[in-house]
Amino acid sequence: MHNNRLLEVEDLKKYYPVTTGFISRHIGDVKAVDGVSFEISEGETLGLVGESGCGKSTLGRTILRLEEPTAGEIRYRGVDITRLDKKALRFWRREVQMIFQDPQASLDPRLTIGASVGEALAICGVTDESERFEKVARLLEKVGIEVEMAMHYPHEFSGGQKQRIGIARALALNPKLIIADEPVSALDVSIQAQILNLMMDLQEELGLAYLFIAHDLSVIRHLSHRIAVMYLGKIVELASKKETFDNPSHPYTQALLSAAATLKELDRGRILLPGDVPSPLNPPPGCRFHTRCHRRLPVCNREEPRFREIEPGHLVACHLCS
Amino acid sequence: MKVTNLRTYFFTRRGVVKAVDGVSFELKRGECLCLVGESGCGKTVTALSLLRLVDSPPGKIVTGEVRYDHLDLITCPEEELRRVRGKEIAMIFQDSQSALNPVFTIGDQITEQIKLHLGSEEKETRRQAISLMTEVGMPDAERTMDYYPHQLSGGMKQRVMIAMSLSCDPKILIADEPTTAVDVTIKAQIIDIFRNLKAKRQMSLIFITHDLSVVAEIGDRAIVMYAGKPCETGTVAEILRHPRHPYTIGLINCLPDASVTTTRLTSIPGTPPDPIDLPPGCLFQSRCSQAMPVCVEKEPLETIVSERHTVICHLYRGEP
Amino acid sequence: MDKLVSKIGKNRNLVLVLAISLLSLVGVLDIFLVDKIFAPIVYFYIAFGIVLLLYGVYPLYTNRRLTRYYLDRTKRNRLAIFGLAFILFLILMAVIGPFFTLDPTAVNFEEKDLPPLGFTIEQSVYDAETGKLVRVSVPSTIEHPLGTDNKGRDMLAMLVSGARVSLQVGLLATLIALILGTVIGVLSAYLGGWADNILMRFTDIMMTFPFFLLLVFVIFIFGPNLAIIVLVIGLTGWTGAARLIRSEALSLRTREFVLASKALGASDSRLIFAHLIPNVISLVIVMATLSIPGVILAEAALSFIGLGDPTVPSWGTVLKAGQQTLDTAWWVAVEPGLMLFLTVLAFNFLGDGLRDAFDPKSGL
Repeated sequence: MHNNRLLEVEDLKKYYPVTTGFISRHIGDVKAVDGVSFEISEGETLGLVGESGCGKSTLGRTILRLEEPTAGEIRYRGVDITRLDKKALRFWRREVQMIFQDPQASLDPRLTIGASVGEALAICGVTDESERFEKVARLLEKVGIEVEMAMHYPHEFSGGQKQRIGIARALALNPKLIIADEPVSALDVSIQAQILNLMMDLQEELGLAYLFIAHDLSVIRHLSHRIAVMYLGKIVELASKKETFDNPSHPYTQALLSAAATLKELDRGRILLPGDVPSPLNPPPGCRFHTRCHRRLPVCNREEPRFREIEPGHLVACHLCS
Repeated sequence: MKVTNLRTYFFTRRGVVKAVDGVSFELKRGECLCLVGESGCGKTVTALSLLRLVDSPPGKIVTGEVRYDHLDLITCPEEELRRVRGKEIAMIFQDSQSALNPVFTIGDQITEQIKLHLGSEEKETRRQAISLMTEVGMPDAERTMDYYPHQLSGGMKQRVMIAMSLSCDPKILIADEPTTAVDVTIKAQIIDIFRNLKAKRQMSLIFITHDLSVVAEIGDRAIVMYAGKPCETGTVAEILRHPRHPYTIGLINCLPDASVTTTRLTSIPGTPPDPIDLPPGCLFQSRCSQAMPVCVEKEPLETIVSERHTVICHLYRGEP
Repeated sequence: MDKLVSKIGKNRNLVLVLAISLLSLVGVLDIFLVDKIFAPIVYFYIAFGIVLLLYGVYPLYTNRRLTRYYLDRTKRNRLAIFGLAFILFLILMAVIGPFFTLDPTAVNFEEKDLPPLGFTIEQSVYDAETGKLVRVSVPSTIEHPLGTDNKGRDMLAMLVSGARVSLQVGLLATLIALILGTVIGVLSAYLGGWADNILMRFTDIMMTFPFFLLLVFVIFIFGPNLAIIVLVIGLTGWTGAARLIRSEALSLRTREFVLASKALGASDSRLIFAHLIPNVISLVIVMATLSIPGVILAEAALSFIGLGDPTVPSWGTVLKAGQQTLDTAWWVAVEPGLMLFLTVLAFNFLGDGLRDAFDPKSGL
């Protein structure tokens, strides 16, 4: 396995204060990310699964410092980047980049795609136009877009092509880690496969690490080495891909697995979770999942389970596993 | 319902878009038919055409027959169609977010539907509304009646939509991608609702989706569509176990199946054709791994593979 | 040549600052000279001409594909084409008209109340010989193709002059209002928090300003002057634009392409100027075409009630003169009225066409 720890996240929290009234009285917090810890090694893909409202997108953005963390630490190659000022953050931007969910909204409709992809280079001081164009051309080639199309505008491309352009833009500064926020959710199935293959090829060729955020386990399967399952701001299970699929320990993981898109094993006794995800403004006491858990114990609504290792490399936060 | 050779074209400035080009099927009572395909294949337009909901201009149902009861829904007069719409054939649209009026409570919206079609009294309609909501699994139906749409989550709104469509006990329910915009666990719940509806009410479903796993769970029969034309029709079991058309095979292989362990996903290369500039011959040939010279020249004809399984592809020409 | 253009284009901000400082220098000099170099209104022209060239024409020129795409979409709306054609005709009339027409202020009582070409009218004229009012048939003459008013001023010349006034006031006042509105709207949206609050409250206060009273007050102090009118309309008319632009900028600010640029390390100014503003421009253009008619009508109304610039005949002043002779010399009121009507219509058609062209969801 990879011994180079690229990214270490420790007890990261991102709260959004809720205010009311004319003088903005602070009445509570939306605890979007509430104490998340994990690490990613060089060249590794960590898949982050969770449903809407669990805070995975917020987590991705906070790591990128697009949102300021409320508490906790993010360490890149040992350097704490949570408290870096704007200038020092510039180097962080070259190391970590993001691919967004909606290919339509992620490209400025008024810029040619060549300009969009080259923007990173322009910001970082590659002012010579021909040099920039050369680099943009190579990037577009790498993601499978014809170079002649660089002068065209986003609306002239299909969804899959736009996503490729987004990937090209993310690669412009040679990052080591890419946070992919649901990069294939908005695409058709056959195009999804193309993009996932592209990402796998790029990982092999460039030694990229991915934080792959998705809401469906089946999509994450092919790319991930390890998988983290998130629920209402906390990670409930973190394990290798094999462990997650063969031996899911947290009831939520089990439910997700049974709900994942598949054509086989149709009569496997689906676990149906009752109700909806509770609001992150008012999470349930004790274990956050207990209101929908099909295996809850009396202790679950009193005490929050600790996130601990039940087997080497396999961590779970559940009373059933202690 | 029996649909024969439905063709809906859109006449735009840049040319004619053949959104639906020759779709035929039969729908029996209590059966669930799935229209499967990717975006732009014409499945939504097919559903809209059944109830003559296509915007015309620029769209126009050029030819085809939709036999329901003793009527042809394509040519019957407006009043007959209005009687059928909502009451006997109901439709749930894709974006449940925008289908609900944000300034009315849920209760108001459901009871409006009931009052419109059944003309019952206030108390009675409220009771009916609550029972419908319970049927679709809405927790605490009584209190939800007084909520506004923005207070509900996506999954709940979807349930409200389904409840509203059931208000007149329709015989056919057309659902346009009801599981696409929801989370995975909610998707499971919604599929369950549909399954129960099918069983309890003997309701026929026309289910539009691009998600093959949903088709596998709830479909009885399916039509796989590509660029407006059907590729393969048959029972879901047949199609998924013995797919014949290269596109169907491609779709099945593309599925990042949670139980399959391969290192690389098979994908279908290329992109769907420009609907205005369709190539001659088979529309899929530019992406087909088994394309033959004849595929570029002539459009394939329907071949019957087995009882209730047909495929439209040159590979099977002449096969019994 | 191309190299020069692109060099200027890249350093637009620098060029703008240089040009504006040069202009202000000339302006300061002007105050001390008796013989003015430029009339005050000309300063506006030059300043805005430069701004338009650097920030309006240059981006269109470099993004030719996009410009062509939008032009194509606009062309499909025939009413918009009519609107555009009429506006171009007006501009032509305003620019070269004065060279071909008579002096609009030349009073000539001999030739008063002449009808437009093709009409002859019966008038009661005082016959000096008989000492009575005699009904005479007055034909039109080719020298005054649109007739004359009751002081013998040529109608065509006055309409041309009116076109100049209307266009100047319309374009310049709208430009001032929109530039102000865009700056405040975008800043407000981007900065958010208390800056947003302060700017929006300021906008609210400005909105309640009694524009008309301010105008009367200003005219009372400085005298009726075209430049004053333009300034007042511009400085009070930006509030609506500011609000709309702010809401558009707010929705843009959270769009993913802005986040993506932020993730690449883009500075605030880059985000505002390279991303927010270009995407807001289409809204601004549509608002411009739809607010220019309002300004033109405002100016006409002011002239109609006598608050306009008396040295320059505008459509409003002609209308006012024609008001009294509606039964005898109807053309004096009808002609400027028709011009106003067509101008407002033309801008509205063009504005609607542009709005449809820019809206990605319209089925063009």
